[in-house]
Amino acid sequence: MHKVKRSSGLLQALVIAIGAPGLLMLGLSMPTTANAEDALIKYNGNTRDYWEHPPGDWFMGDETAQQHGTHPYPNQPTPTPNDELVGLVKDNIKLAPGFHIEVLASGIDCARQMVFGSDGTLYVGCWTEHVYALQKHGDKWDAKVIIKGLRQPTGIGFYNGNLYVTDIDKIYRYKDIANNLDNPKAETVYSDFPPYTSHGWKYMVADTQNPGWFYIPVGPPCNVCMIPSGTAQYRHVNPDEGISEVAALGQRNSVGGDVDPRSGQLWFSENARDWMGDNIPSDKLNHLAKWGEHFGYPYCHQGDIPDPKYAMGHKCSEFTPPALNVGPHMAPLGMKFYSGNNFPGEYRNNIFLAEHGGWNQFNHTGARIMRIQADVDGKHVTQEPFAWGWIKDNKYWGRPADVAVSPMDGSLLVSDDQAGAIYRIWYDGKS
Amino acid sequence: MQVSGWIIAALIVCLPITAIAAQGNPAEGKAKAEAAGCNACHGPDGVANQDGLAIDKNMPNLAGEPDLYLQFQLVYFRKGVRKNDYMNPVAESLSDVDIRNLGAYFASLPAPGGSPPPDSAPEDTSLGAKVAQALHCANCHGDHFEGVENMGRLAGQREDYLYKALRDFKGGARVATGAASMAEVVYPLGDLEMKALAHYMSRLH
Repeated sequence: MHKVKRSSGLLQALVIAIGAPGLLMLGLSMPTTANAEDALIKYNGNTRDYWEHPPGDWFMGDETAQQHGTHPYPNQPTPTPNDELVGLVKDNIKLAPGFHIEVLASGIDCARQMVFGSDGTLYVGCWTEHVYALQKHGDKWDAKVIIKGLRQPTGIGFYNGNLYVTDIDKIYRYKDIANNLDNPKAETVYSDFPPYTSHGWKYMVADTQNPGWFYIPVGPPCNVCMIPSGTAQYRHVNPDEGISEVAALGQRNSVGGDVDPRSGQLWFSENARDWMGDNIPSDKLNHLAKWGEHFGYPYCHQGDIPDPKYAMGHKCSEFTPPALNVGPHMAPLGMKFYSGNNFPGEYRNNIFLAEHGGWNQFNHTGARIMRIQADVDGKHVTQEPFAWGWIKDNKYWGRPADVAVSPMDGSLLVSDDQAGAIYRIWYDGKS
Repeated sequence: MQVSGWIIAALIVCLPITAIAAQGNPAEGKAKAEAAGCNACHGPDGVANQDGLAIDKNMPNLAGEPDLYLQFQLVYFRKGVRKNDYMNPVAESLSDVDIRNLGAYFASLPAPGGSPPPDSAPEDTSLGAKVAQALHCANCHGDHFEGVENMGRLAGQREDYLYKALRDFKGGARVATGAASMAEVVYPLGDLEMKALAHYMSRLH
């Protein structure tokens, strides 16, 4: 392992404090001098104590005095009555010409990843405890909670009639879910992810080339640190077999990806490190062309910024550059290649990417659906806003978290984990 | 909801300038709080620390808590994500509008003020201050622990309730939501430190 320059005595003491119980910790962790710099948090994430028990504010390390006050933005469900949500969407959301948006369902608190079952049931993962099932009856979608009591079941998948739910450190399988909606039975089929919450929420990318396999990101428990082994990577997992292999290295926090139907290769979004400023580094869209590629974290950000502390002599040219820098703090999450028949032909195989929006900026950005066009080899990548307006007067009234293409009518569904909603976007060419 | 409320709600939805998530109505919230019996435990003005008022210990003050914090807790009580024998049945019947109005009402009430009583345990106050600094409580809860958006107000909260909340996070009875995990915050704390932290915070105004 590389020798990493350690921080000051005070900071080391703080790190020790995190793992050491009782009074010893408190005696050690008191600053001896009180100045502005000492008031800032500078965690050293390079220790076993940190990895096993990341501090509760693990995401706050390394901020500058100027950034003080950009505290975590509420990333939790706001109660938004359906009638009001319909009005908000009508008044605020702008779309490319010929497209329309409607509220498909409300009251889906903290909606994250969406996946369709083979019978058209829409399953929705959630930040807190629940997994939903939505079914269409006539013109109306009815939602119910089918799974309770999990920790952060954000990532879900469907294969061979079974529902798979990734909950921090485990993958649960719910067999024959369509016939067991009232009493789904969990089987633990994979349990080799780290146990901590920090960057522990997941996304499941169905590998359409190898049915039954999923690409699943594993995040490090820090903003930036010398990463614990087995993290900051994408794994290729077969839950039924309980096995996995490493697909990609050097990713920080991916919560979205899809397999390009043209090439069978993985593309994934990635949230870049925090606290370098409002304008750097850019978040990324990555393309895995070769198995085992390294995308730079923690050594290099946005393809051309060596980390001030963790580059440790590495050059950005050693790593796979992003296919696209999507912009700083855009928080790109769920994404899909468009494979439906409702949108015009030029949208086929375009990527739709949900931007959640930044959580630690003075001026919030993102909260949009982007349309991204790319050659099959990952070249000539361009982006343009496709649906926007969830941010108003520097506040979010909703935050897109994932997209899904409806197998029934080719419309694009968008989940929103703040307004607690699912939206439907369709095309008819009319203004 | 009364007719005036519907008119206000309709205006809020129609006016472009207010077309972000609507604010609750404190007056409607007050009426709902009285109807739902919130006062019985949380006090007539959202302050539960008068002697003999709380039907049980560990009832928090609600006055001056941030609007969003109150709303989120009610959402979680309604959904059963946050578990409490008193609150789950009460929250079950609340509508989204009720929750907004209750949030606005209790947030509009003045937090408990005035000088704290003479310090019965100054060594706990001192230790609590050190714990708060070591754990960076202010980072999320505000420089003066006044609460920020979805982060609860800690300053001036009831000591018994703060101690219970810390124990609940530590024991897993209460699960934090979102990226931050209070379980990880309280992991290094022993009973002594949790008591001291509660004592320290309760005396701040």
